[in-house]
Parts: sequence; structure tokens; C-alpha cells
Amino acid sequence: MTDSVPEVMEGAREMVLALADDELCIGQNLAWWIAVGPFLEEDLALTSISQDELGHARALYGLLGDDVDALAYGRQAHEYRSAHLTELPCRDWGETLVRHFLYDTAETVRWAALADSSWEALGAVARRALAEERSHLRHASGLLSRLLRTEAGRSQLLPLFDQFTPLACELFELPPGCSHEALLADGVMDRSLSDQRAEWQSAVDDAVASAGYQPQWPADGATTASASGRAGQRSAHFAALHAEMVEVLSLDPTARW
Amino acid sequence: MSRAVPAGVVAAVRRSVSQVCDPEYPEVTIAELGILEGVSSSDCGSTVRIELVPTMLGCPALDVIARDVTDAARRACAGADVSIEVTFVDDPVWTPDRIAPSAVGFLAREYSVAVRSRSAAASCPICGNDALEHRSDFGPTPCRSVEWCPSCRNPIEVVGRVDLPAAMGAAPASPAAMGAAQASPALA
Ligand SMILES: [Zn+2]
Repeated sequence: MTDSVPEVMEGAREMVLALADDELCIGQNLAWWIAVGPFLEEDLALTSISQDELGHARALYGLLGDDVDALAYGRQAHEYRSAHLTELPCRDWGETLVRHFLYDTAETVRWAALADSSWEALGAVARRALAEERSHLRHASGLLSRLLRTEAGRSQLLPLFDQFTPLACELFELPPGCSHEALLADGVMDRSLSDQRAEWQSAVDDAVASAGYQPQWPADGATTASASGRAGQRSAHFAALHAEMVEVLSLDPTARW
Repeated sequence: MSRAVPAGVVAAVRRSVSQVCDPEYPEVTIAELGILEGVSSSDCGSTVRIELVPTMLGCPALDVIARDVTDAARRACAGADVSIEVTFVDDPVWTPDRIAPSAVGFLAREYSVAVRSRSAAASCPICGNDALEHRSDFGPTPCRSVEWCPSCRNPIEVVGRVDLPAAMGAAPASPAAMGAAQASPALA
């Protein structure tokens, strides 16, 4: 990337921070399922996916600075940029599955748009993460398609799509201070966020079409109201999530594994 | 003026860190597992740079491996006035193909763990049957999936998820990206 354009670099760093915060929050939320998954294989799957997402967060924070822990845990609530979808606890497994499907479908699109980034270190992380993402998506899609073949699955899961999709659209929003045009012009990402969002929506549409369902999508451009997470406003769930993340650190700031 | 690191010191560090073992398989070295990418003297000043390739970005053993490598490097250059830099690189990408054949045999024999690679299908470490059935991408650690051996009727842990090696191989890194591979994250 052209280092001579510092404001582009600054915007790219803001974007990476938001992506990292998404990964951190969803990774931490998925970790809740350790040992309480509905069946053993699912327990292992959610645990592994949680570790992968936290690993992606670490790799992204690592692009921004050397002190990854300080970036991940040491900021004030208003300095986080996570999409509110990722902060939801989802203690119901159906909720976790639908959120996981929406999120990992979105991530696959987002990483692909960054795989050839002009910020070469970001491109390398994106290619690496994309390879891990395929197994996440296969896991989510496989369970979803099987469950949507049953009446119980349809009645429990489909309403969640309408509940979560407006929130999920925030995954394709940038924090304030990022110029979308500059990120595109400089090749930090290779396709626009509205193209990415359209690609994601059509993948989601396809997944539920077999169940005769059509999610109600907010109009493009109408999601700015929901992009409050990107702007630094935390959802009601963030405080508890963050307290859990820093529990050991606040007991002993020098704790090491 | 930068002082170059004596070649003997670099070689000693390379020997020493090559012997560092994986926390999960304490008899197998990180060199055999393909986690150790390279040991070199840094261009700028008296630094020995050690590059490691993470098996998975979220591998919880990364910090332990980095610490053990740092300790081994420090031991090897005791007395020499050099600093040690240990970094995880995103390029190249680790795949099970990086595991040495000797380690593949050892893992099968001692841990009943199979290895999936592009060059060879995973075969059952217990009975040798090479028609394993895929059960789950997710096993006891993020880098292991679970298969089923219909012949000896055992669940089998396999290093590597089904599409990891192919998917990674299909993602070409530009030469520029290879040259600019940055550490992520930097670990002291
Ligand atoms: Zn067998």
C-alpha cells in the first residue's frame, strides 16, 4: 500500500480494528459453549471455531501494534468498533447457529475482498483466515440445511433470521473516519462494501430458499442507524462480555500462561 | 555501525531451536512438524531472527512455542552479544505436508494420530486401512479433525482439516507479499 498516503493507512487501520473487534467478541461468545454444547461433536466444533476466531483477532490486532493484549483488552468500551451482532450472548443454541451462519458467510465474503489487498500483510492474514473459514461455513451450512428440513427446525430457526439480519448488516459498515472510496481506490479492498453485502445477502437467501423463506433485508444505505457499534456505541451485552474477557487480567495484570 | 552476527552463532541458534519440541507432542520437534521456517541474522544490527509458521492462527500453543524457542535461542548464544527476535509469519502457510515423514510415522505409532496431506491420503494408524470416513472437521484441537475407520471401527484423529491444504495451496501469494511477510503478532 502506498505509505505516502497516511490518511488511507489510518482508515485501513480503523477498518482492521473493527474486523478484529468482531472476531474478538464472537470468539469470546462462542467460547461459552465449551463443555455445554448440545452434543459432543458440536461442543468440539464451537470450541475450535472460537479458537480460530480469537486467532484471527490476534492476527489482525498484530497488524496494528505489538501489544496485542493491550489492544484486545485494554481499551475503553467506546473505543471498541464491534458490530452489535457479535456482542449478542446467544445462549440458545439455535441463536448461536443462525448468528454463526450469518457471520461466517459474511466473513468469507469480507476476507475474499481483502485477499489481494495492497496492504500486503493484511492480504496474507486474509488468505490464511479464508482457508480456515471454509470449514466454519461448511459446519454452519451443513447443520442449517439439515435442520431446515424439519418443521421444528424451520419454526425455531427462521424467525431468528429476521431478528438477526438487520444487525448483521453492520458487518459491512465501516467505522467513522474510514473513507470507503479511498480504501477501494488504494486497493486495500478489491470490491465495494455494497457489492460484498449483496454477495452475502444472496448466499443467505439461497440457504433459506429451500425452506420457502425470504429474509426481510433493510434497504441498502438504511443500515447507518444500526451501525452504532462501529461508531463506538456498545450494546447492552458488551460490559458483561468484556468483564469475562479481562477477568484474569484484572485479578492479576502480570498473569502469564 | 551495525555489527554482524557471527555465522557460528546463527548455526548454534539454528541447532538449538531445531530441537525444541511441540507442547502437544513432546517427542516431536518443531522442525519435524514444519513449524520452524528459518533462522537468520537480521540485516539491521546484531539480531538473530527466528521465523515460525503457526499451524492455525488460533493455536493456543503459539505462546508456549515462542517462549521455548526464545529460551533455546538464548541458551545457544549465551555470552554472545546478540538479541533474539521470534516472529510468526503468515507466509508461507503451514500445511500438514510440512510434517517430516519420520514424524508422520511416529505420530501414527505413538499417538494413533493420522496426517492428511496433499501427497498422501490419511490411512488408519491402527490397522492401515486407507479408506477413512470423514466425521467432523473439528477435533480435540483446532488443527485436528475426526474420521472413522470402518475396518477397525475406531474414531481416528487426523492432523489437518479436509480443505486446509488444498485451499491454502490455491491461494497464490504474490512475490511482493512473500518479501513483505510481516510478523503477526510480534512476540517477545
Ligand atoms: Zn483402522
